[in-house]
Amino acid sequence: MYIRPIQRDDLDALTVLAKNSGVGVTSLPDNRQKMQAKLEQALMSFEKTNDVEDRLYLFALVDENTDEVAGICALEASIGHQDVWYNYHVGKSVHASRDIGVHKVTQTLYLSNDLTGSSEIATLFLMPDYRKDQNGQLLSRSRYMFLAEFPELFGDTIIAEMRGYSDDHGHSPFWDSLGKHFFQMNFSDADYLTGLGNKAFIAELMPKFPIYVPMLSEEAQAVIGRVHPHTEPALAMLKSEGFDFNGYVDIFDAGPSVATKIKDIRAVRESEIKLVGISDKSPMPDYDDKHGLLLVSNRRFGDYRVMLINTGAAGDDSVWLSAKQAETLNVTDGDTVRVVSLRPTEKSS
Amino acid sequence: MLVVRPSTFVDLAGIERLLDETDARVTTLPKERDKLSEKISESDDAFRSGIDADGPASFLFVLEDTESNDVVGTSGIDAQAGNGYPFFNYRLDEVVHASHHLNISSKVPVLFLSHELTGRTLLRSFAIDPAVRDSDGFELLSRARLMFMAANPERFSQELIVEIQGIFDDKGDCPFWDAVGRKFFGLDFHTADYYCSVKSKTFMSELIPQHPVYVPLLPPEAAANIAQNHEAANRICQLLYREGFRKSKFIDPFDGGPVLKGQLSFTHTYSNIRFKKAKPSEVIGGMKYMISNQSATDFRCAIGTLVDGIGDSIRLPLDVAEALNIREGDQIAYSPL
Repeated sequence: MYIRPIQRDDLDALTVLAKNSGVGVTSLPDNRQKMQAKLEQALMSFEKTNDVEDRLYLFALVDENTDEVAGICALEASIGHQDVWYNYHVGKSVHASRDIGVHKVTQTLYLSNDLTGSSEIATLFLMPDYRKDQNGQLLSRSRYMFLAEFPELFGDTIIAEMRGYSDDHGHSPFWDSLGKHFFQMNFSDADYLTGLGNKAFIAELMPKFPIYVPMLSEEAQAVIGRVHPHTEPALAMLKSEGFDFNGYVDIFDAGPSVATKIKDIRAVRESEIKLVGISDKSPMPDYDDKHGLLLVSNRRFGDYRVMLINTGAAGDDSVWLSAKQAETLNVTDGDTVRVVSLRPTEKSS
Repeated sequence: MLVVRPSTFVDLAGIERLLDETDARVTTLPKERDKLSEKISESDDAFRSGIDADGPASFLFVLEDTESNDVVGTSGIDAQAGNGYPFFNYRLDEVVHASHHLNISSKVPVLFLSHELTGRTLLRSFAIDPAVRDSDGFELLSRARLMFMAANPERFSQELIVEIQGIFDDKGDCPFWDAVGRKFFGLDFHTADYYCSVKSKTFMSELIPQHPVYVPLLPPEAAANIAQNHEAANRICQLLYREGFRKSKFIDPFDGGPVLKGQLSFTHTYSNIRFKKAKPSEVIGGMKYMISNQSATDFRCAIGTLVDGIGDSIRLPLDVAEALNIREGDQIAYSPL
């Protein structure tokens, strides 16, 4: 399995992915036209023919044996440029009176555009059949190798918006208590419109004044900053790379936003440049050995590739690849690659 | 005879008894004797300071039964609502949330904190003994304030406001308070109400939520009670409507009760008022009028029968003249009941 930039002929595969992703993965709308627009944007981004701020880098996880696209992930260069980017900042207001001995801290949601200009760890979706052999890890963490290689194309700070809590029927308690009053629509419908690129339009209908949290339903209060159960693993992965809650939540489902400086991401900090050597004696990856795997990228832009190799294949200065691995990565003897362990070292596992 | 006059310290016990017996809440009158005597003292100062005073002034009147000397009602005026401090209300406004792109447009009611009514003249502290509630005394007690203002118009704002009791249940729970104020004050309705009458007003500004409140976020019951009066206030509302008062877009920030607004010169009492020289004598026949003397410090108002005619003097029943401290030749004001 390997990662490469999206290609023009991936459209059919993308449509299948979108159909499978369902509610909650708003960046993969089940709509071929919108998907095509995203594809075009990504193609221009890898050709560097659009503005740096407008770039969307879409990557495909490909099965080299079948050439099938098994998953997709994305990096957004700069959010809030084409549209307006909204979050609620989870703040506090204090109401206190010495005179009558009252001191109350009230959680308050402030509508903000504070995250404008940040880069974003965006879409990720992996087909169910491929949820094995560390494919999810490869797909998600491969993006850090791209960030490590081309930091000048991104902002200082990078965020990820986590899907907020909704129940088995797709009901979001936060939406039901807040958004719904301003927008007579179910969460899943609003979510669909959002995916079609209407998020800013919907946001325009949302309340502009701060919201006192105690005025929301108890169910809604309980899910502010809480992720959807299916998103827990993704959150854990981001946290292990140094991401943390930044005090902002989604205006629709109150899912948390997590952030870090790109230079502080574990994989960016720890990655090293090594020389490629070709050897058929190089150990092959053992996907059951969670800590025995390395991410390796070919450091190229338009023909970017990432794959997993065995930790034992790396020496101090070199990495030994089989001929087939080198072919997949599109590198030869004497090229340089970027290498980092797939997961943070023991402490977090 | 029932007479409205300025309150004095002698009335303390009488007012306390009255407050114990009336069911409607009278926020501006505390039941504690020392606090109550402070209010009377303020009122005393207000009446004594004469017509030249133009600062805040709180007037407290009592309705006295001259036969028993019992206090059977109270009513008051704050010349300037807030008395030099901000006067808090919520203004019920609307915000339009519209998207041309999505073909959606909806009006959302929003409560904005407002000080706009600060400095308007506030009619307040209306309480009446159930025994005289159904008599002319009810109208006399309320309208006497307008008679007083007509006699001393320079001390008051043209714009008059009245806060009407909002809805609370038999247990004293107020849905609007529970949905809004309680979340910030951490107090039940009665305690907050009590503090409001006895503590300095600064705690209001410290605790009241500054951001607008979206009405759709309130529980349905609290939202439905906005600008609705308690049924015990139905009668005073009807009387004020007849005077020319109307519901405004302002509500009480505590219980959500309506604030009525009126223009002094357009009130029924004021616009029909006549001033003439009194001639105490027997009066036969005629119609009932509100009648007051023109004294700023020893104001009196009662209901009596007059026969209005041409000329600048008018016959005044002897018992009314006595109750109002009027001698022949004194100026009186009268307005039809």
